[in-house]
This record gives sequence, structure tokens and C-alpha cells, in this order.
Amino acid sequence: MSEAPLLQARDLHKTYRMGRLDVPVLRGADFTMRKGEWVAILGSSGSGKSTLMHLLGLLDEPDRGRGGVWFEGQPVAGLRGGARNHYRNRSVGFVFQFYHLLPELTVLENAMLPCRVAGAGRAAAGHVRSLLTAFGLDHRLHHRPRELSGGERQRVAIARALANEPRVLLADEPTGNLDARTGGEILDMITGLHRQGLSIAMVTHDPAVAARADRVVQLVDGRVADR
Amino acid sequence: MYAIQLANRYLTSRIIPLIAVGAVALCVALVVIVVSVMSGFLDMLKSSGRTLMGDVVINYPVRGMPWYDELVRAIEAEPAAQAATPLVDTYGLLRMPYPQGAEKEVVTANVWGIDPASFERVTDYSRTLHWRPPADQAEADAMGPDDPRRKLSPRIVADGLALRRGDTGEPGLVMGLHVSIVNERQRDGSYRSRYGWFMPDHRVTLTLVPISAKGTVAEPREQVFPVVNEFRSAVYQIDKNRVMIPLAEAQRMLRLDEGTLHDMEAPPNADGSQPVLGRSPARVHRVLVRARPGVTPDQLREAVETAYARFEQACAADPSKLVKPPLREMVSILTWEQHLRDLIGPVEKEREMMRILFSIVYLVCAGLVLSIFWAIVQEKSRDIGILRSIGASRGGVLWIFLQYGLVIGLVGGVVGIGLGWLVITNINAIHQAIGERAPLWSWTACFAASTIALLMTVRQGLRGVLLPTLLWLVGAITLGLAGAGLMAHRGTLIWDPAVYYFSTIPDRVDWVTAGITWLGAVVFSVLGASVPAAKAADIDPVRALRHE
Repeated sequence: MSEAPLLQARDLHKTYRMGRLDVPVLRGADFTMRKGEWVAILGSSGSGKSTLMHLLGLLDEPDRGRGGVWFEGQPVAGLRGGARNHYRNRSVGFVFQFYHLLPELTVLENAMLPCRVAGAGRAAAGHVRSLLTAFGLDHRLHHRPRELSGGERQRVAIARALANEPRVLLADEPTGNLDARTGGEILDMITGLHRQGLSIAMVTHDPAVAARADRVVQLVDGRVADR
Repeated sequence: MYAIQLANRYLTSRIIPLIAVGAVALCVALVVIVVSVMSGFLDMLKSSGRTLMGDVVINYPVRGMPWYDELVRAIEAEPAAQAATPLVDTYGLLRMPYPQGAEKEVVTANVWGIDPASFERVTDYSRTLHWRPPADQAEADAMGPDDPRRKLSPRIVADGLALRRGDTGEPGLVMGLHVSIVNERQRDGSYRSRYGWFMPDHRVTLTLVPISAKGTVAEPREQVFPVVNEFRSAVYQIDKNRVMIPLAEAQRMLRLDEGTLHDMEAPPNADGSQPVLGRSPARVHRVLVRARPGVTPDQLREAVETAYARFEQACAADPSKLVKPPLREMVSILTWEQHLRDLIGPVEKEREMMRILFSIVYLVCAGLVLSIFWAIVQEKSRDIGILRSIGASRGGVLWIFLQYGLVIGLVGGVVGIGLGWLVITNINAIHQAIGERAPLWSWTACFAASTIALLMTVRQGLRGVLLPTLLWLVGAITLGLAGAGLMAHRGTLIWDPAVYYFSTIPDRVDWVTAGITWLGAVVFSVLGASVPAAKAADIDPVRALRHE
């Protein structure tokens, strides 16, 4: 019997309301990712890539009764309250295009935040420090985000996403806000993480970036198609 | 844990929370200052009232109570009573020794005829005597060279206590410190003689008008008294109006002393006089009673009621007493608080009214925190989205902002109480400073600072940065206006003792009120924070993260 996919979505529908208009973004999107796989979700702007990512990470909910998400074979889209928060805190790690670091916190504090949310502040400090050191940020631990370059900020964001050792990294255009060279460095880093066994779902509109992944799926008209 | 960390960072890395803390502090300080002054005023009023008249007052004005010695003995036989003293209470005219020349100033005065020894036992009268020689050399050294206390006769306190000059034996008069115009209060609370006059060196003429049993006015009587001391009760109205003379003198001048009782209905004797019926006893208008320690004024009043009933029965049964004491219904027996109800009641109501009115500041606290936090939540919605994306619960987000409000209430309240304490403890010095012209250094310093701020405005303006330019300009204008205000200030009397009874402003913090106000500020700050906190918890993380 084959192993259940690590992350799976079936027949996802998502509609946003824009004033009086209902704008369907996802129209029955399916997505499957095996353990240790790097899947790139390619699509043009507004195709629903980020929406799919948000649904996979339980930041958002699909339209009522229309589709579901499974993590390690278990349905998770309907999770509520603490279980939903726990999924976001432990099972997945988000990386965003605009880094989304908290400006009041230092590099170390930002990276530690998921551990603190999980109630494991001090215990996890060593692991987070080693992550930051591995990402070349050991000299920046007590700096604020505004004192960092774009590439450094994204590395901090990746360290934060990995702080609780999630099973899946959900990256939404992680190089979209960086120049080509820095973007390349970030992709090298993500590639390294993937080689260490990390499962990655990455949204991008850049085919060159998508080419680094094991598999590329494309979002067209709110549906996913393998390339 | 993360909630504490974030609340702490939001508090310490931004200026807006400091503004909120400042606003809450000002609100709390305002309440603490106003209610403390009102409470202090009330306490002074009550404490002075009790000091001046004991715990219970028996009052029968105009005609006076006969056989008061027996009444005093009957009251003192009650276990609840510590001492009782008879008193004559009337109004008279006092001719002052000033100014020089024939035309002397005449003032009206509330005259109390007292028995000094028993009056002291009931009222602590000796503590109110103002003029005392320095207790030791250190106290003498602290007095200025013109201080009249330096040249006081060593017997001045004894004379004041006895209401009699020790050297000549003549009856003396003790007057309130503000009855004459010669005592000028200094900034440090001491008094200096104005125009070189010192009342205990002088004599005054007192005129009293006796009133007959029928209520008609008899021939006024006048008597010259040496001023043997002055007293200060701290109640301005009393210090401004009251003089005290020996009881016997007051009774004699008012024809309340012992005399002969004539039968006015019988045919006259051969010499034209009316036949004598017997002795007419001396009378007093009041008897003041002091309670034993541990006895409340109400308990004492009940004991005095009993004693009066016994006294009334004893007099009625005694055929030798042709003059009977007034019926109980005609006599008022009141505790000092009841006696001063007309004075204390409105002040108590005023204080409660102030408490209620100033409780509006709680709403101000809540409103301030709400509006400031609303703005912060708007600004921090992306952070909230991030927190939700890494698994923070709604409750966690809510708690960040509630903690934030809690800390603002706690810190603002403590700062406010500190500010209130600072103002209250220095309120008399502040009042004194407001009452005088501003010193030269104060407004020149303001103008100098304003000039510097103006130069900084020009400098920042030349650099082309708008916000610092504007801030320096606001500073320059504010300092300039403050300087102009101080320069134009000619002194304003805010606390007029003639209106507020006391010559000094109460300067003790009402800690109960301070505590309640602090608690109120905390509760209402948290309540104010709860609305934006709930809004923060409800923020959709997807929308928040898209907001870039």
C-alpha cells in the first residue's frame, strides 16, 4: 500500500467578494505533495497561487463544503481554535515575499517567535541560534529588521519558519522582492534545506525559480495542472 | 510569554504609549489633588469643630441656663463624660487700640465667656494659644530678628490660659489671630507684626449688650481688657471673629450673673423696691462636654440626655430653687457634628459631587486608551497577521493589547499619584507663588529658552525638515507665551481664607481616594483597550498580510 501524501488538497473552491461581485479565485483546485518533495506552484499574477498557499497553511478557509485539505492523510481544513493554531505553529512554516518580520523585535527574537508562541522559549533558543548561524546571521542576532538587507531579512524569515521544525515549508514568492543575485542566494539556501529532507511548496510566477523544484504545477483558471 | 514580550516592546519602542501614560497620569493626578484638598478641608473642619467645642453641646441661647454648676456636676458624674464646661456666647463690639489718634477702629466680635480651667479640659484650648516664647535656643535662633516671639513675656502662656494678667490680676482677653489687622502671615506659616503693633502689648474695650428675660435690650456695658494672648484655631472664620474673656466678666456684662430675685407682682416696699423672693442664679448659654476615650459622641449625647433629665427633675423637686432650668424640649443637645451640620453637610456633599464629577476622568482614560489603541491596532494589523500565521491564537493577540492597556493604567496611575502627591505636599508653596509676582528669573529663562527654540526652528527650517521645524516652532511659541504670561502675572489669590475658612490649604493626600482612583484608571484603561484588542483578535490574517 502506498504512503499517504504529506499534503493534499482536493477540489478547493475559494471565492472573494469584491463589493457586489463574487470573484472566484479557485475553482476546484487539486494539489498533492509527497514527503520530501519540492513542488513549485507557478501562475500569473492573480491566478490564486497565494490563496492556494493560504488554504494549505490553514490561514484561510475554502468556500463552505467545497473541497478539503489533508495533512499526512488527516483532514485539517475543518480544524478549529487551538488545533488550527497548532497546525500553523508546528506542521507548516510560512515564508512571505515581504519577509513580514516584526520591526520591534531583534533578529533572534523574530526567529524565536514561533517557539515562544508554542511556549518553548528558552528550550528552543539553542536550535534557533544554530539555524541563524547556519544562515550566516550570527553577527546579526541582536539587530532590528530595519538594519538588515533584503536578503538577510528573508533569511531571518526562513529561520523563523523553520524554528519549530515544521514538516512543510510554505513559501510565497520568497525571491519576489529581491534582486537576482540575492534571490539566487535564497534559492540556494532553500535548495540546501530541501536536500536535507524538507518538504517545500513554493509559489512563484518565475519559471526560472520554479525550475529548481522537483515538480512544477501550474494554476490556470483556478485549477491546477501538472506541467 | 510572547504576549508579554510584544506588549513590552510596543510600550517601550514608541512614543504613543507614553502619551497615553501621560494622559492617564494627568487624569489621576487631577482627581487625587481635588479630592485630597476637599477631604483635607473636611477633616480640618471636623477636627477644628471638635477641638473648639468638645463632643457634645448643650445649647440654650439668650436667656441662659441657671444652675449650670449642678448640671456640669451631673454630667461629669456620667461615666461617658470626661469633663464639662459652662460657656457664655454672645456678640459685642471691640474697640481696637489702633490707629494712632482719637478715632480707633471698632470691630464686631463673637464673645465667649469661658471658665479657663474646665474649658481647657474640654477643648484643648491651650494648644490654640499662638504666642509662646521659644521652647529652646534652636527655636529662638530660627526666629527672625523682628519676630515678636523673641520679646515675649515668659508668663504670656500662663496669662492666656488663665485669661488674667498674672502681674496685676486683672481679667484679660484672648482674641483670634485675625481679629486685629496687625498679624501678617509669612510664607513659612509664621506671623509678623504689621505696623510694629503687637496686640498682647495693648488693651481693647469690649462693649456687650445685655438682653432681658423679656427679650428687650438693656443699657450696653463696656469694659477695658488687656490682651493677654491670641489664639489660632486654623478656622479662619473663628480666628477672624472670636474673642474670649473670663466667664464671670461675660456674665456680669450681660447681666447673667447671680442676683436677687424680686417679686414684680407684689406691692413695692416702703423704700420703693420690690420685695425679694430669693436668689437669682448665674446663667450660661452653653455647656460643652468632652467624651472619655473610646466613647463616641452619640453615646455621650445619650448620657448627657440622661444627666439633663436627672438635673431637671432634681431642680423641679427642690423648693429652694425658685428659678427652674429650661424644659428639655427648649434645650438642644447635639453632638459637635450635628451642631456643625449646616457647615459640614454641604462640604461633604460638595466632596461627593466632586468625586462623581471627576469620575468622568475614568471615561476620559478609557476613551484615550481606546482611541490610541485603535490607531495602534490599525497600524499593527500586519504584525497581527504574522502572529496568526505562526500559530498565535486570537486570545493571545487579545491578551497583548489588554496587557498593553493594563500596563498603561498601572504606570499612568502610579505616575499620577506621584504627581498628585508632589502637588498636594507643595500646594501652599505653589499657592503662595501664584499669589505673588513671578520672579525675574522665571520669565527671562522662558524668553531665553524661547529664543533658543526659535533659532533651532530656523536651523531646522533651513535643513528643510518639516516635523522638527514645526515642533521647535511650537516649543518657541509655548515658551514665549509662558514667559509673557509670567511677566504679566501680578499675583492671584486663589485660596481666599475668608471664603474657605482655613488660612492654609490642606496638604495631605487622601490615600483611600488615591487608591480607588488608581484602581479606576487601571480598570478603565483595560476596558478602553478591550475594544481595539477584540478588533485585533478578529483581524483576518490573510487580509492583514496582503496589506503591504
